Amino acid sequence: MAFGLLLAAFAGAMVALQTIFNNRTDIHMGSWATTTWVLGMGFLASLACSLIFEGGRTFQLQHMQPWYWFSGMIGVGVVICLVLGVKILGPTFSVSVTLTAQLGFALLFDSMGWLGLEKVDFDWKQIAGVAVLIGGIYVFKFGGKKKTEASERSASPLGDTP
Amino acid sequence: MFRGILFAFAGGACITLQGVANSRISDDIGTWQAATITQLTGFIMALAIYLFVRDGDLGGFRRVKPLYLAGGAFGSVIIFSEVTAIQTIGVTFTISALLIAQLCVTFLIDTFGWFGTSKSKMGVPQFIGLAMMIGGVLIMKM
Repeated sequence: MAFGLLLAAFAGAMVALQTIFNNRTDIHMGSWATTTWVLGMGFLASLACSLIFEGGRTFQLQHMQPWYWFSGMIGVGVVICLVLGVKILGPTFSVSVTLTAQLGFALLFDSMGWLGLEKVDFDWKQIAGVAVLIGGIYVFKFGGKKKTEASERSASPLGDTP
Repeated sequence: MFRGILFAFAGGACITLQGVANSRISDDIGTWQAATITQLTGFIMALAIYLFVRDGDLGGFRRVKPLYLAGGAFGSVIIFSEVTAIQTIGVTFTISALLIAQLCVTFLIDTFGWFGTSKSKMGVPQFIGLAMMIGGVLIMKM
């Protein structure tokens, strides 16, 4: 349990860093050029890691199913939705809604056991926990006015604000 | 307004879907391979859209600090860690811990004004919010 939480927290810390770096890139290149760049770099780094840790198995994709080739496009859908959301609602509200949906769907996926996930029994503790967590997000995002525009931009999951 | 909520909500749903899909694909072909393929297809798609809309300038990378340009490479370890976490503790715990760490680090960076962010103080509401978020995870673990 602790190991999994630590890995997830590490991923979150990296997302925060990447978001800020992406914002810096966005200023000079615009949303889509930035997205293209970021995914290209991610691809190269993953390919390098795959070659180092997996060697020749990198290219043995015998269990590949057709939809695996298209799942990378979900990320493109994410960028479109986040950019439009922030444009219409502003960063604070938009990011809060996005985080709420992330958690809500996480609970849904776990309790339904979709896409080969181990089904987790849905009980009151999980609903209550997620509700308190989401409440915390809104207190965090809407509490006080000490945050600047720049810090709110950097809180968006991909940083691709227009 | 409603449209905005719909977009923001769909975006969040897709972020979670992406993590779960990556974890499913990793079961079959390996985690690094999954990270490689999904980012390659995402890259091709994003490039196609960029060439179509031309909203910015890909050549602008010359004006960006190398450190910031390298940020994209984090995608590999982010996907690897997230997938491994989902396989170990499930989606809900993974997303919860990920978001808490993400908000904590963002505010740490903003508080000290690192990477050229404008300094901003962490207020009492932000501490209460983070405490509630951690409390939420503890409730789930009970």
